[in-house]
Amino acid sequence: MLLKLKAKMVNIPMEKLFFVIFATLYLFSINVEAAEQDFQFHGFIAQGLIDVDGSNFVNDDRSLSPELTEVGLNASYQLSSNFRLTGQVVYLNGGNRYAEGVRVDYALLDWLVFDSPNWQANIYLGRFKNNHWLYSSSRDIPFARPSIILPQSIYFDGFRDIAVGADGAAIKISHSDDDYGNFDFNFSYGSNPISDKQAEIILSEFAQGTVKQDFETQASFYWQPAFSFWRFGASYLDSDFSYQASDNVDLFFDGDFSFQTYSINALYEGESWEFSGEFHQSVFTTKGFYHPLYYKAPVAQRMYVQSRYKVSNELTLLARYENFYSDRNDKNGDKLEENSGGLIPAYFAYHRDTTLGLSYDFSSNLRLRLEYHWFQGAGRLTPVVLPNPKINDSKNWQLWAMQLMYWF
Amino acid sequence: MFLGCINSTAYAVEVIMHPSVSEPILTTSQLRRIYTMRQIQWADGRRITVYVLPRQHLLHLRFSKERLQMFPYQLDRIWNKLTYSGLGVAPITVSTPEDLLEAVRKTPGAIGYVESVQGVEAVNVVKIKS
Repeated sequence: MLLKLKAKMVNIPMEKLFFVIFATLYLFSINVEAAEQDFQFHGFIAQGLIDVDGSNFVNDDRSLSPELTEVGLNASYQLSSNFRLTGQVVYLNGGNRYAEGVRVDYALLDWLVFDSPNWQANIYLGRFKNNHWLYSSSRDIPFARPSIILPQSIYFDGFRDIAVGADGAAIKISHSDDDYGNFDFNFSYGSNPISDKQAEIILSEFAQGTVKQDFETQASFYWQPAFSFWRFGASYLDSDFSYQASDNVDLFFDGDFSFQTYSINALYEGESWEFSGEFHQSVFTTKGFYHPLYYKAPVAQRMYVQSRYKVSNELTLLARYENFYSDRNDKNGDKLEENSGGLIPAYFAYHRDTTLGLSYDFSSNLRLRLEYHWFQGAGRLTPVVLPNPKINDSKNWQLWAMQLMYWF
Repeated sequence: MFLGCINSTAYAVEVIMHPSVSEPILTTSQLRRIYTMRQIQWADGRRITVYVLPRQHLLHLRFSKERLQMFPYQLDRIWNKLTYSGLGVAPITVSTPEDLLEAVRKTPGAIGYVESVQGVEAVNVVKIKS
């Protein structure tokens, strides 16, 4: 199964990657006078150390781990005043957090459909990133996100490969008004191939069948009042998945899963203080899967509030609190434990994290980050559908991490 | 156009552009739109090429606060999102103020900034209205 997953994970995106690279180089070569502003390369490399005490978040033996590597390289080529080709490939190693390996982060054709001093409309075709939440498009960019480990309630690493983007089409419409401020509207439609490893991370190793994402539709709206320190946003997500049980021995049955998420967010950017927060509410419907007549649609809620304080141009401090529960009618997990006959402890129904951290910039392109997390609950540990209370036997667990990052 | 004809003593950083651009006056809102990549073409349809210094450079810090009335980390957030998420193109970073001046001089449609316009030739100085 693992071998199969590697083939899926690497080969499918690599084909696209090679297409983008060759197409870009070909176009670049036929235009030898391509100016610096038409062709751009950027990238980053980050390596860290992470130590988790009390869970399998990174590794099963809970030892100090260097599995905190992120490398990325992107290129952008302006084909004409209205068309641009761009792509980014990343290598990630986060231990148990997600599958280790190379991925095509995005590979797309950017079509500037309309442009004026106050309006811009773009259509993106290909593999695009999720641009709907505060940090969804920068979650893999070490220096562009606020911490090494993002709030798992919303940026759950177990769903990373599904939530980070999709293959399909996206639209972005921006309007800038001198009196009323900046308005941005985003819409996207697409789907993701789901690797065997991703299926294992979500469902468990016992699910032998095939998971497919049927579609994913997302929309978001952002508003920043003119010359304001504040920005406000709202988003909607609708996605369906299906599970086809294996013809061989399978613990599970055919099933359908559906997510509908509504969210709001706010960001304040002052001279020294920065505040941000997001609130998401999801209905997660399961039909079948556990047994043919199973039906459940719990409402999950997740939120975080975060503050950053800029002590100087180099030093920034971070404090954050987040809270997640998978069923708002079972916030302390009593029903979960009861319904599972005691097999799944109550603390798998929620996840809370208090984080303190700092980052220091040695130069414009070199940063060191340090952080400590105090967690309560195992609601954001994998596998999700069939939790593992043997390995995650603590309600309280902690994590510290440090990461050095360079970008250009 | 030669400089010196515009009174610029109030600021320690001046906005300059390639002589091909015929927009000698910009509002702070327009300048912000250009530097946050929300306006990417001049009124005549020519593409704007935006040049900046490294994010920790003192002149860049001054330009952000005094001219854009933004904090440098706000620009970082916007530009990083464009560059590393595939959404668009961020300004081009050059190493020194001399490189920046030279880049604006030789790139049609370019905009940038300098500490002082004294002795600076072959670029237009932009007057910024608040």
